[in-house]
Amino acid sequence: MSAPDPTFWLFLLLAAPAAAALLALVPYSRVSQLASRTGAILSFGATLGLLVSRTSGVFGSYLGVDALSEVFLFMVTGIYGTSVWYSAGYLRDVHRPFLTPQVYYALLNAFAFAMIATLVVTDLGLMWIGVEATTVASALLIVLERRPASVEAAWRYTIVASAGLTIALFALLLLYTTTGTLNAFRLAADPPVPSLAIELAVALAIVGFGTKIGLFPMHTWLPDAHSEAPSPVSAMFSGVLLPTALYALLRVLRVLGTPMPAMISDLLLAFGIATAIVAALLLQRQRSFKRLLAYSSMEVMGLATVGIAIGGIALYGVLVLLVAHAFAKSAAFYSAGNVLRAGGTNRIAEVRDLRHSMPRTSIAWVLAAVAVTGAPPFGTFVGELLIVVAAISIGAIWLAGVLAAAILLAFIGVNFQIGRMVWGERPPGDPTSPPREVPEWGVAYLNVGVALVVGVAAIPYLAPALRSAAALLGGSLP
Amino acid sequence: MISASEATALVGVGILLTALYLQSESFVDPLIRGIALQSLLVAGLLAGLAWTEQSIELAVLAGLTIAVRSLLIPYVLRAQLQSFRWRVREVRAAHRVTSHALGAVALAIVAWFIFQETLAPIFPQPGAALPFILLVEGLFMLATRSTTLVQVIGYLEAENAVVYAGALFAKSFPLFVEVVVFLDVLGVVLVGIILSIQREVTGTPEEASLSELSG
Repeated sequence: MSAPDPTFWLFLLLAAPAAAALLALVPYSRVSQLASRTGAILSFGATLGLLVSRTSGVFGSYLGVDALSEVFLFMVTGIYGTSVWYSAGYLRDVHRPFLTPQVYYALLNAFAFAMIATLVVTDLGLMWIGVEATTVASALLIVLERRPASVEAAWRYTIVASAGLTIALFALLLLYTTTGTLNAFRLAADPPVPSLAIELAVALAIVGFGTKIGLFPMHTWLPDAHSEAPSPVSAMFSGVLLPTALYALLRVLRVLGTPMPAMISDLLLAFGIATAIVAALLLQRQRSFKRLLAYSSMEVMGLATVGIAIGGIALYGVLVLLVAHAFAKSAAFYSAGNVLRAGGTNRIAEVRDLRHSMPRTSIAWVLAAVAVTGAPPFGTFVGELLIVVAAISIGAIWLAGVLAAAILLAFIGVNFQIGRMVWGERPPGDPTSPPREVPEWGVAYLNVGVALVVGVAAIPYLAPALRSAAALLGGSLP
Repeated sequence: MISASEATALVGVGILLTALYLQSESFVDPLIRGIALQSLLVAGLLAGLAWTEQSIELAVLAGLTIAVRSLLIPYVLRAQLQSFRWRVREVRAAHRVTSHALGAVALAIVAWFIFQETLAPIFPQPGAALPFILLVEGLFMLATRSTTLVQVIGYLEAENAVVYAGALFAKSFPLFVEVVVFLDVLGVVLVGIILSIQREVTGTPEEASLSELSG
């Protein structure tokens, strides 16, 4: 039997979440759940199919994949699957939900579909539509728990993300006027002659897509949306939505060829450093554990942006960091969701002694926390180390120092707070009953395991894709 | 007799004047009427370009602009306003209307200078700077106003700017109609759904100051 045609995998990749979104609307919540799980499994399977067959190329007028899209697809479909799995238990504990389970699952599948579509189209205009579609699909998911703060967060998210994407659309208009095409694959293969207009278009794209990536100072929607969304959605926001927007930006940056002009790399560097430092400082004073995780994601996106600006081996580091972070951060959000469901609060000060009350969740949470903050031997450590080493290798010792300081600050900030929740003693005479373990603790272990394996072993098919993707971006390999 | 490009620039000036008017207004109903008028002017410009260029896409865009941003969304916004008669004026902005208007004019001048220094050689058409200024004005409104109804108007203004720029510079921009439809869908989602939820959950269209969302 011959292997399926690559277009079959692409079709499956898009059709599975789209069909799941439609089927989820059937008025039986079990059908919604089953359709979503099937859709997620099929789309992850299709990603594996693309990875194994090492598919690369353009299919039809608008579809195309290469190693870069496959690495991001691995993240998106992986986290989509685990979030769908985790959602069933989470929804059980949401009292007075604003959305029915059917609508929730339909939107979750549509959200995943929008991200997947962004990763498999060749046209930058379609990519923009994909990123914008994630806003439409996910904004309503934030208000699931019907709290005033959730509605406010959804509003800020929609308005700030849309304003940013309007700027990104202006950038694409400018790019199209100058180059006459928006085909990202064609522009990357044959970059246009550098000009002020193209550099300006790319600079606007950095600001526009940077809003969705969570770069400072356009990040204001990020902590609100991540902290107020239901935990499975927060996992998708933090783990894969931000990287999906970064993917769109990477495709725009490829228009410049390699090495990129100094003005653009300086701009990326400035945004990246500011984002990493501001996030590392802000997360020290967070009172909500979900906001703490949100700022940690922002710090990682800042590091990734710096890595893109540096180039060389840092690009490989960026990809490893993003993959490991996606799985580790989703594990952290699932654990946070368990604590929130069991304890009814997201206040750090109100959660103590989890090691006794929720032993399985607390171990997963500690592992996820050290993983997201770049502790060895997790993949995040490898990624961050490569970015810092790349900074040293270009002689930017000051930059390496600044990055190391941001990483250290974030490590201390996140782990100290989560440590207090896990090992801190409950105040004597506390009248509230301690939270109880929830059944869905296993999903977090699965994802933190992936983050670990990415750091210590070359995952078959994914490891070569990571190398090819880094090479595609003009990076060198370690 | 004025040329087609001069007529386009003239309508563009009208669009810019509506933008400056919107910045200086704190009553919500006139703001809604103002954005409807601005969208109508953009639609007129698109229709004129569709006629001269014989472009079906631009004609479709003109129709969409009238249907969604000139009629549907303003209608929904006014219906929302009916539920909040006490909120006919944006109180916080009312104290700062003069500074908003002055800031908007200053921003328009700065945007014009930046355009002349960077993009004017690429876009030599008369009035080419106007969509860029309109975008800056829309984003300024989004950033400085606290009432969600008015923020929607800022969003619509930014969308008008994108449509205006696309029609002027990138007529053959692929999937432009689809992109605008998408922006309109987002506009309708913003207005229709989130505002309704906000009214139901918080009882006000005013941006709340929630301690949970600080830090």
